[in-house]
Amino acid sequence: METLWFTSALWVGLALASSLISIRVGVSVALIEIVLGSFGGNLLGMAPNAWVNYLAGVGAILLTFLAGTEVDPAVVRKHFRSTMSIGAVGFLAPYLGVLGYAHYGLGWAWPQAQIAGIALSTTSVAVVYAVMVETGFNRAEMGKIILAGCFINDIGTVLALGVVFANYNLWLAAFAAATAVALWLVPRFIPWFFTLVRERVSEPEVKFLLLLLFLLGGLAALANSEAVLPAYLIGMALAPYFLKHKAVALRIRAMAFTLLTPFYFLKAGSLVKFETIAAAAGLIAVFLAVKMATKFAGIWPLTLAFRFKRREAMYTTLMMSTGLTFGTISALFGLTNGIVDQDQYTVLVAAVIGSAVVPTIIAQKWFQPEVEFSEDESAGRGSESRAEA
Amino acid sequence: MFGKILHANDGSEGAFKALAAALNLARRYRAELHMVSVEELPWLPGTREEVVGEKALANHHFEAVAAKAAAIAKKERVKLHTHLVAGHPVSTIARLVETHRFDALVIGFMGHAALYNAIMGSTAERLVRLAPCTVIVVK
Repeated sequence: METLWFTSALWVGLALASSLISIRVGVSVALIEIVLGSFGGNLLGMAPNAWVNYLAGVGAILLTFLAGTEVDPAVVRKHFRSTMSIGAVGFLAPYLGVLGYAHYGLGWAWPQAQIAGIALSTTSVAVVYAVMVETGFNRAEMGKIILAGCFINDIGTVLALGVVFANYNLWLAAFAAATAVALWLVPRFIPWFFTLVRERVSEPEVKFLLLLLFLLGGLAALANSEAVLPAYLIGMALAPYFLKHKAVALRIRAMAFTLLTPFYFLKAGSLVKFETIAAAAGLIAVFLAVKMATKFAGIWPLTLAFRFKRREAMYTTLMMSTGLTFGTISALFGLTNGIVDQDQYTVLVAAVIGSAVVPTIIAQKWFQPEVEFSEDESAGRGSESRAEA
Repeated sequence: MFGKILHANDGSEGAFKALAAALNLARRYRAELHMVSVEELPWLPGTREEVVGEKALANHHFEAVAAKAAAIAKKERVKLHTHLVAGHPVSTIARLVETHRFDALVIGFMGHAALYNAIMGSTAERLVRLAPCTVIVVK
């Protein structure tokens, strides 16, 4: 029993250290958790066991669910064409490019190449959102379109994960039918149910959501699909409700970020092999270059078509080349299901982390848009300007 | 000499010393005085929640800073324009000075750990280097 608690202490200790380092250096806690997890795995012999896998799995489901709740369907509906085109190109260009390179260039089998394509097709909504806030783009329609495009990009990733490797049998039909019914029913049922049981200490709202996500996740697993797919879709279906009622989402966030997502990111890091990074540094760089080049080829012309200034077009393109959370989820899915081996997983996760770091540094170093004081929605930029004495 | 002055304030004691100096300068030169606070968002966030949470925390902090500065300026009978922008403090302030053609930047001095200072330099040192105007560091 003492081993269980000491193991727990090690994992939670690393999670706490990640939080403290993140606060001190101002870098994402998720990234620090992956890095500390890799040190834990390589130097401390930290290996995921059954209960760590469970906590990490629930963490990935809740992380994806919360990401889904942030989609603003009103913006997607209002700018359907531009949102869908940016999102679809943002997904398809790197997916096909990396898939082709991994299969034809490296000789990876199709399923392995698929995982590579999916893992590097993502755009980090979080990184793009942070940049939007810094430039003031988030308040402009253009910024909302780009953010919604990032969500569509992620839907592409999650759908590909859920569909490409699924068994096309009765279980998949049952999973699809159950998800469709849930997507129709949940937005109607939840407002009534949450009003009925609201704000009780026993948290029936959170328990109901967990029940739903676990049931659909179970069906997804039976069809050899991925539990994050229904989680993202249910999150999207509930986005209008959660935009108005943030309390339940905040409680899920507190639960997820305290005990679940740290296990997920630490586990993702612990499976990275240092010797593979050293041996395959060139390959990692090429994967990163292919991702960035294909994102550039797809998104840059679109930003110009939407009349971005050149500097802002480049900045946006670079930002949409970033990836982190969904990239690691995809790579870990490949490893967990025996599609890729640990060396391939390491290469992909390193490339994913590289895609979070490199485009951001290039964008901030050479293509940072000007900072404005005044709020100017029509110009697509603005910063907060307040209180005059 | 100084028609337009920018004061950067992070809410620290040193920053409020700098505000006093900036108010003095603005009164003496009848200059337009702006105050900017820069909220730092997490670099490479893994989730949007991280950004939202950090921003809410920073907003809460800087609202109090702006209110306190506004009250001091009112007492000194100087008009103070306060602004809140997100970004990295050094690059954001340097670019604001350049974009809005400020004549002077007034900042407080805040030291970091010796190792950090040796490698990176303090925020004040980097602003002295990068801001394209007169920089007054108040200690």
